Amino acid sequence: MKSSTARKQKNHTRQPQSWLAENPLVSLFVVFLALFLLTGAVQPNFLSINGVRNTLLQAAPLGILAAAQTALMLTGGIDLSVAMIATGAAYVAANQSPNGAGVALLAGTLVGLLIGSVNGVGVALFRVNPLIMTLAMSGILLGLFTAWTQTVLAGSTQMAPFIKLLGGGAWMGSVPYSVLVWGGVTLLVFWLFRRSGWGRLLYAIGDNERAVRLAGVRVWQVRLSAYMLSGMLAAIAGMLLGGRTGAVDLQLAGAFLLPSVAAAVIGGTSIFGGVGGYTGTILGALILSVLNSLLTFLNVGQAIQQMVYGSIVLALAWGYASLMRRSGS
Amino acid sequence: MTNRLAVPFHHPLLRTLWRNSWVLGVWLLLFGLLIWYSTLIPVFGPFQIASITKNSLPLVYLAIGQAIIVVAGGIDLSLGALLLLSNVVAARCMEGQPAGVVAAIGVALVAAMALLNAFTGLLIHRSGVPDIVVTLATSYIWSGLALWILPSPGGGTAPEMRWLFTGSPSGIGGSYWPPLLMILVPGMLVALWARNTRPGLTLYAAGSNRTAAQLAGLDVRRAKILAYALGGSMAAAAGLATVAITGTGDPRFAVGASATLNSVAAVVLGGIALTGGVGNLFSVVATGVTLIMLNPILIAMGVNSNNAQVLQGVLIAGVMMVGGLSTFLRERRS
Repeated sequence: MKSSTARKQKNHTRQPQSWLAENPLVSLFVVFLALFLLTGAVQPNFLSINGVRNTLLQAAPLGILAAAQTALMLTGGIDLSVAMIATGAAYVAANQSPNGAGVALLAGTLVGLLIGSVNGVGVALFRVNPLIMTLAMSGILLGLFTAWTQTVLAGSTQMAPFIKLLGGGAWMGSVPYSVLVWGGVTLLVFWLFRRSGWGRLLYAIGDNERAVRLAGVRVWQVRLSAYMLSGMLAAIAGMLLGGRTGAVDLQLAGAFLLPSVAAAVIGGTSIFGGVGGYTGTILGALILSVLNSLLTFLNVGQAIQQMVYGSIVLALAWGYASLMRRSGS
Repeated sequence: MTNRLAVPFHHPLLRTLWRNSWVLGVWLLLFGLLIWYSTLIPVFGPFQIASITKNSLPLVYLAIGQAIIVVAGGIDLSLGALLLLSNVVAARCMEGQPAGVVAAIGVALVAAMALLNAFTGLLIHRSGVPDIVVTLATSYIWSGLALWILPSPGGGTAPEMRWLFTGSPSGIGGSYWPPLLMILVPGMLVALWARNTRPGLTLYAAGSNRTAAQLAGLDVRRAKILAYALGGSMAAAAGLATVAITGTGDPRFAVGASATLNSVAAVVLGGIALTGGVGNLFSVVATGVTLIMLNPILIAMGVNSNNAQVLQGVLIAGVMMVGGLSTFLRERRS
């Protein structure tokens, strides 16, 4: 430990490149800024308060979904059902909308909590590989909600006015409410990851699960609660998305599944657990949102859009990995 | 871990059976399901056998490819996108061509996809980025490329090609022998190759303990790239089978994504550990067919197709839970 800090200081004074490697978030921020300015060059209107607001509005649901993904990836897990949880929660919220926004929001969040718990029980108690458990859950939810949209949830596609305001409206006409919600989630996640014992256990489990168990921690409880948190966050993101579009359909959040994983990965959270944090994920979500805007403005068509998106995600992940290796060696 | 490897029997035959119990289990499950299915529907004959085998072909090929990669310690989320790419290139180039040209295109596609995915494997090795992340990104690239090559469903292929994978020049009805052989022979060859040749065993070694394999003098990098190349060629074969069955190319992203997910499910149900180095490749042939068969069985039982999807998910999670619970109880006791 001592020698590594000594080396850190030496590098700090000698090479700016190594300093960048010690502070990868700075390079991520530079990437974000460059993409933002590039988008501004393509569409001059983008370089305004309005452009910033739109970017944040786009990034909010993605950022919240990626928070769920980050918490799980720290433990070495992953949740491939976040998109379907989000869609399901939005459906239930729309269904409960006639009973008032409070009931609707509560019902939607409960759906997320419930599905997250089932995922958690499967992964934590029954030791199902998280990839398989959440994949199977995603299939189950798709089947259930496809069937329910024709029966119990039939016709419930309209959100309550308050949820629409929350998803698409702005506080005092300037700050979108969904960004405020994202801010709240961010504060909560920061507190959990950095200040709470539970957050430290997330990192510890991802780093060395056996050591944590031998230290007397009930690992399954931590895992289960992480999946419950993930489910709730996904539900919140889903209701924001549903509120923004005003109407709900089965494809609501599908496009956000892979970006939610990509945002966390770009942000430096290891998919094997134990390494990472939410700051990087936020930058990852912002980068992906700006990239999306840029590709939309360029109007290149969906095919080129997908190719560029994939290439940039790959390049960023590679760049991050090589930066980290340089600082590690 | 040692508990899994301990063999309670001493007779050679029993020992072989015990070692391959999971393969036997999934094949017995498949035959049980087949017999059950035959009692559910009024007529069960060559038509049903042909229909089940040909519809399973793309998933089985993809699952074999995924299994090879998983055994070697990786995972490839881009196989479904490669299937799309192979499907649309085939549909676009093969339409209206004579059989010889179609065959040449097919062989070229398999080789090209092998090279393409070998490159992905090399990229994973060089970049140090986890497999799952690299292949997630390349899945976007390949499906974008597929959409660029064929913006909307269309294209076609030669009748001879359709006969090879479906047993009939029109893709409907016909003999069940061609699809049955096409499903069993590649699976058997790959499984035998992996268990009995030096490069095949290197895959298992690299997947089970990378460092140990390297210290034993094996070329781990080459093993992984080989696994990805084989996975890519199986995905190309899956794309060819798709164009033969449907007669068209379909570039939709969702088709590729769900194919990838099903291939991972088939691999896991086939007893191949996602941690690498464990499992028999032949079992994924059975689990691939099983996953495809569940749908018609549940529909024959009068379950609607949405609930069929729910039950499929429950089954996958359930099978994995039973395996996991025993581990959990053992840990609690110790």
